[in-house]
Amino acid sequence: MRKVGSYVTWVVWLTVCLSLLVVPAANAYIDPGSGSLIFQVVVGAAMAASLGVRVFWKRIIGFFRRNH
Amino acid sequence: MPPPPGDGRAAAGGTASGPAARVGGSFRDPAGFVFTRGGVLYRQVNARGAADYDLLHSSGLYDTLVGDGLLVAVEEVDVEPAAADPHRILRPERVPFISYPYEWCPGQLRDAALLTLRVQTLAMDAGMSLRDASAFNVQFLRGRPVLIDTLSFEALVEGRPWVAYRQFCQHFLAPLALASAVDVRLLGLLRTHLDGIPLDLAAALLPARTKLTPGLALHLHSHARSQQRHADAGREAAGRGAADLAGSGRFSTKAFRGLVESLRTAVTKQTWEPSPSAWRDYYAAKQSYTDAALAAKEELVGKLLADLSPRTVWDLGANTGRFSRLAAAAGATVVSLELDPSAVEVSWQQVRERSETSVLPLVADLANPSPALGWACAERDSLTARGPADAVLALALVHHLAIAGNVPLPDVARWFSQLCHALVVEWVPKDDPMVGRLLASREDIFDDYTAAAFEAALCEHFDIERREPVPGSSRVLYLLRRR
Repeated sequence: MRKVGSYVTWVVWLTVCLSLLVVPAANAYIDPGSGSLIFQVVVGAAMAASLGVRVFWKRIIGFFRRNH
Repeated sequence: MPPPPGDGRAAAGGTASGPAARVGGSFRDPAGFVFTRGGVLYRQVNARGAADYDLLHSSGLYDTLVGDGLLVAVEEVDVEPAAADPHRILRPERVPFISYPYEWCPGQLRDAALLTLRVQTLAMDAGMSLRDASAFNVQFLRGRPVLIDTLSFEALVEGRPWVAYRQFCQHFLAPLALASAVDVRLLGLLRTHLDGIPLDLAAALLPARTKLTPGLALHLHSHARSQQRHADAGREAAGRGAADLAGSGRFSTKAFRGLVESLRTAVTKQTWEPSPSAWRDYYAAKQSYTDAALAAKEELVGKLLADLSPRTVWDLGANTGRFSRLAAAAGATVVSLELDPSAVEVSWQQVRERSETSVLPLVADLANPSPALGWACAERDSLTARGPADAVLALALVHHLAIAGNVPLPDVARWFSQLCHALVVEWVPKDDPMVGRLLASREDIFDDYTAAAFEAALCEHFDIERREPVPGSSRVLYLLRRR
């Protein structure tokens, strides 16, 4: 079981690393830190979802405020 | 008043040609740099930064940000460039006093963080993004935080994470969390860590309960673990382009906006309440003055300031800035320096609530003022190098330096002479209750702490113009001009 877990981790890690290689150039002059970049990619879906929840929540609040 | 020499920050004129001096902290970004010539501050945009600079204008972002007072205004000028490959030369509006994050109270750091995130949100609306999120890029102008780096923007690359995420967490979120959850004195770490507090250090210092608060768990604890995990493993990939990480849609714009919003929430939750410290209650408790005495001292200081009509004033040991505001009312731009972060926080809240434009409260230990820091000791100026001010107010201060800090009076007088052209200083004699308090728990080794010795020390550098007893106390106020 542990072996399977570490295999999955390795595949995820390799996928993220490969994603780093297919990127257009930009004008960055500070070191963004590979750990920081990878971390953002990993939590990206959760961030997008949380934004969705926030927007949804605001709409609900807004709906009730309008009705009062 | 004579114009302040030295860096000429307040200079409005100057010559468009002549020798250019690159500003010490402006060398990292190949897109451009800041220099002075003839006392005027300029920013050169290099050819390398041309596309992003032009996009800043053509996207309407510059107008939006400057219109909202979020970005310092610049004027494109036709002057000789200071280095090869120029695209434009800009003359930015000058900030009267450059302050550094290690001199800010938590409220100021928080407002600077929220400014940075607001700018990032507006930049994304305009198809751009911040290339850096350094707290040093924020200054306080007319009582509000403002981004001073016109070249911090780049075109938003779809799918790429935020290159400044690490820097934002190190410069803003980590120190704010430490001040909020551990101790405000940890903001002093920003003085030793000029690129922000390393996240592994912040994570180690934060109490375990912060692992249960979503914002800090994510942006500090997990983020720090990710950095450590990929410190070596990521190097190989980083060498092949992680700095330009994108990937088709791997980090969607929605995820990016979610990240910025999540950071904003995390910053907002890092609150810090000033403690009801003895310093802050100084006036309320009226320990050394009666009401009438305080009013008389105010009137006296007001008169001395009116005589001087200084453009710039440094109020040393300013407490919550009562006398700083007196100087501001007399027309000066005031830097209000105080040791106690609680007093500075209270003063900053007043600046915000009353929309004051001329008072900048800062945290400063005057027995150990900000030194020159960074590369070649030239990136961040010492406090002294940022002067001299037209006038210095040193009220109820000398006994703290001389008795609590053991600084000999001649040294105190010499330091004052380096800071200003004119000095309003209060002599607090040994029989004053506040001095008694300082001597209560220690031996009195201060035989030279006398009014005569103080005057003699001052006269080495200054001419005494006025000597006024403070009614209702045994204190004396002096007005002095530097020779």
